[in-house]
Amino acid sequence: MADASQTDARLVESETTETDAVAGVAVGLSAVLFALAVAALFERVSLTGSLFGIRTVTLLGGLLTALGVAVVAFGAGSRLGYVETDPDPSAGLVAGFGAAVPWVVVGGSVASQTLGLGTTVGVLAGTAVGGGAFALTVLPREDVGSTLPLGSLLALTGLVFLTGVIGPTWVWELDWAQQAALTAEFLIPAATLFSALYGGWASAKAYGGFGARGRHMGAYVLVYLNALSIVAFLFVLVAFVVVQGVPGLLNGVEIGLGTGPQTTVLGVSVTLPVSVPFVMNGVALFNDFQGVLPAIVGTVWLVLGAVVLAVPLGVGAALFLTEYADRGRFTQVVEIATNGLWSTPSIVFGLFGFAFLIPRFGNGKSLLSGMITLGFMLLPLVVITSREAMLSVPDEYRDASAALGVSKWQTIRSVVLPAALPGVVTGVILGVGRIAGETAPILLTMAGGTFVPGSQTVDVLGSFQFTSAPPFVANPALLEATSALPYQLYALISAGVGASSNVGNADEFRWATALVLLVVVLSFYAIGIATRYYFRRRLTHT
Amino acid sequence: MSENTTQQTQTASTDDRSPTDGRSPTTTTGETVEQTRDEWTDYEFRGDAKLAVEDLDVHYGDDHALKGVSMEIPEESVTALIGPSGCGKSTYLRCLNRMNDRVSSARIDGSVKLDGQEIYRDGVNLVELRKRVGMVFQSPNPFPKTIRENIAYGPKKHGDLDTGLLARLLNRSDADERDALVERCLRDAALWDEVSDRLDDNALGLSGGQQQRLCIARCLSVDPEVILMDEPASALDPIATAKIEDLIDDLAEEYTVVIVTHNMQQAARISDQTAVFLTGGELVEYGDTDQVFEDPHSERVEDYITGKFG
Repeated sequence: MADASQTDARLVESETTETDAVAGVAVGLSAVLFALAVAALFERVSLTGSLFGIRTVTLLGGLLTALGVAVVAFGAGSRLGYVETDPDPSAGLVAGFGAAVPWVVVGGSVASQTLGLGTTVGVLAGTAVGGGAFALTVLPREDVGSTLPLGSLLALTGLVFLTGVIGPTWVWELDWAQQAALTAEFLIPAATLFSALYGGWASAKAYGGFGARGRHMGAYVLVYLNALSIVAFLFVLVAFVVVQGVPGLLNGVEIGLGTGPQTTVLGVSVTLPVSVPFVMNGVALFNDFQGVLPAIVGTVWLVLGAVVLAVPLGVGAALFLTEYADRGRFTQVVEIATNGLWSTPSIVFGLFGFAFLIPRFGNGKSLLSGMITLGFMLLPLVVITSREAMLSVPDEYRDASAALGVSKWQTIRSVVLPAALPGVVTGVILGVGRIAGETAPILLTMAGGTFVPGSQTVDVLGSFQFTSAPPFVANPALLEATSALPYQLYALISAGVGASSNVGNADEFRWATALVLLVVVLSFYAIGIATRYYFRRRLTHT
Repeated sequence: MSENTTQQTQTASTDDRSPTDGRSPTTTTGETVEQTRDEWTDYEFRGDAKLAVEDLDVHYGDDHALKGVSMEIPEESVTALIGPSGCGKSTYLRCLNRMNDRVSSARIDGSVKLDGQEIYRDGVNLVELRKRVGMVFQSPNPFPKTIRENIAYGPKKHGDLDTGLLARLLNRSDADERDALVERCLRDAALWDEVSDRLDDNALGLSGGQQQRLCIARCLSVDPEVILMDEPASALDPIATAKIEDLIDDLAEEYTVVIVTHNMQQAARISDQTAVFLTGGELVEYGDTDQVFEDPHSERVEDYITGKFG
C-alpha cells in the first residue's frame, strides 16, 4: 500500500514550481520558434542576415538545441524522480508514429546523401532509425518516451544549424531532369517549423506532468499552433499582395480639391477631391497613369448580375424542395444534381456559356453572357445553403403558425424565410467569393482585352433605352464585351513583358490589379457579412 | 348518444382479444388484462358537448396509435388527458384541430364534431377550424419576433389587422386596435404586468414560463373557443407551472380547455374531468376528476394512478 500514496493524483496542484516554469518557458520557446520559422518561410526574416545581433541560422540553431536539451532534461528528471509527474506506462502508438516519421527522414537522408551510401541503404537506414525512435517512444515509461526521441531530434537539428553543416547558402541538387533543388531558404524554415511543433508538443506534455493532463496540454498546444498558423498564413498572403500591390495602386495619387475626375452624382456634376489614377482610369495613349477602371466596373456588374439571377431562382428552388416537395426519389435526385453542379469545373460552365449563350445574345462575347454563366455557377450553392438554412428552421415555428390557422405560404413568408435569411446570405457570400474571382468562364463569355481603354467602361444604368419594338427596353451595354479583374490579371500575366511599355512598370501594374481584385472581393464579403449580421440581429434582438 | 359511444368502444377494443364480459381476460401473452368496460368511458355531464369524438382511429403507417376512441368534451371546462408515454393522448389532442393532417403518414378514421359540425370531411375550412380550436405546444415556441408581433401575427395574417406600410401610408393603419388586442391577450394570459414595458423586445429573451404564457396569449389572439394544450408545463419549473395552472383555471371560465399532462397531481388540481389513456391507444376511463382519482372503476387505471404501472 506504500505505492498508493505515490500514485494518488494530487487533488490540489501545488503552486507553480521552478520545474513548471522551465516547461512553460520551453512551450513559449516553441511558439517563438514557430513564429520565426513562418516569418523566415515568407522571407520576412532574412536567413543570411542577423536578428538581435546574432546570425539568423545560429539563432535558430541555438534555440532549437536549447529546446531539445530542455525537453530531454525534463524527461530524464521525471524518470529519475527529481520532478514530480504522473506519467502513463507508455507514450502510446500515436506518439510513436509521430516520433518515427521525422527520424525516418533524418536517418534516410543522412545515410543516402550525407554518407553517400545510395538509395537502398538509405531506405534501410531510415527504417532502422525510425523503428528505433518508435521503440524508444513506445517501450519506456511515458515521461522518457515522449521526450527523449523528440528532444534529441530537436537538439540534432539545432546542432546541424549551429555547426553550419546546413548554412544559409546550402543547396541540395536533386539531380532530377528539371533543375529542382532543395535550398536552405526552404529547408531551414520548414525544419524549424516542424521541430517547433514537436518541441511544443513534448514540452506541453511535460508542463502538464504527462499522463492524461499532459496529453491534454499537448493536444491543446498543437491545436492552438495549428489555428494560429492558419491565421498567420492568411495574414501573410494578404500582406504579401498588399505590399506588392500598393506602389502600383498609389501611382500618381493626388489629394486636394479639384484633383479628381468629374463624375455625375444624382444629376449634379462633382469633381472628386481625390485622384487615384489606377482605379479611375482605363488605359490610353495619352494618360499619365494607366488604370483598370473598366475591369473594376465590369467585375461589380458581373457579380451583381449573377446574384440578381441566382438568388431568386435558388431560394425559390430551395423553398420548393424543403416546404412543398415530399422527401423522396425526386428531391434526392435534385439534391445530387445540385451538388454535382456545384462541383462542376468552371471551365465547363464557361464552355456552356460560349456555345449556348453567346449565339443567343448578339453572337459576341458580352457582359450579359458572363452574368448568366456566373449566375448558373452561383445557383447550386444558393440552393444547397438555402435548403440547409430552411431545414434548420425549427418545425415548432411552422406548427405554431399552422395552429393559428395561418396558411402555408404566409407561414413561409413571415416565419420560415426571415429565420432562414442569415443562412441564405451566408451561402450567397460564399458563392460570390467564388464567382468574383473566376477567370475561365469570363475568358470564354465576356473577355475584354489586356489593356482596356477607359471608354470601354460599361454604363449599365445609363444605357437603358426604350425601343418601339418588343421587348421595348434595350440595353446595349449588356451586350458589349467588357473586362473583369480576374480575366485582366490573367491577360496581364500571360501577355508577358512585351506589353509593358504601355503601362510603365508592368509588374507593379499586375500586383496592383491583384490587390484591387482582392479588395473588390473582400468588399463583397464585407457587404454580405453586414447583411447577415443585420438579419441575425433582427431575429434575436430587435 | 351514450349507447352509441359505448358500443363502438367495445367493438374497437375487442379487436385482438377474445370478447368477454370485461374483467380479466387472458391475452395471448398470458398476462391478465382487463377489458375496457362500456360504462367506464361513458361520462354523463351536465351542459352541452363542445367536441364530440366518435370511434376515432389513427394509424401512423402500420402503427395503430389510437383505437376507437369515443368521448365528448363539455363546454367551458378543463378536460385532462392522462396516461403513460406513447398511449396516444397527444395524438388524440392533435386530431381535435386536425394538426395530424400535417403528418403525412397519419391516417385518421372516425368522426370529430365541433358544436355538432363534422370537422373530418371535405370542404372543412382549416383556417377557420384552427382559429376556433387553438393549440399550445409542449415546449414554448414563440416566433423570433417581438412580443407585439408574436401576438399580432395571427390576426394580421387573417387580415383582421392591417399595420403594413401601405395601410400606414393611406392612414388606415390598425395600430391602435393592434395595441389594444396585444394588451387584452397579454392580460388574459397573465403576462401583461411582466412585459408591458418591453413589448418591442424579442420574445426569445423571455424566460421559459413567460414564453409559454406568451404562446397562450398568442393562441388567444385569434379568439378561439377551444384551447388544446399539449403538456404545456412539462418544460417549466414549479413556479412557472403554478402560474400556468392558475391561468388555465381562469381560462376555463370562457374557453373549453383540453390539456394533456404527464403530471397526475396537475390533472387532479386543475381539471373538471379526466380521461385516462393506457398503452395501446385506448381510452380506458373517463369521468369526473374526483371520481377517476379517488374511485376509479378500472384496476389498470387504479394501478396507474397509484403508481404501480406506467
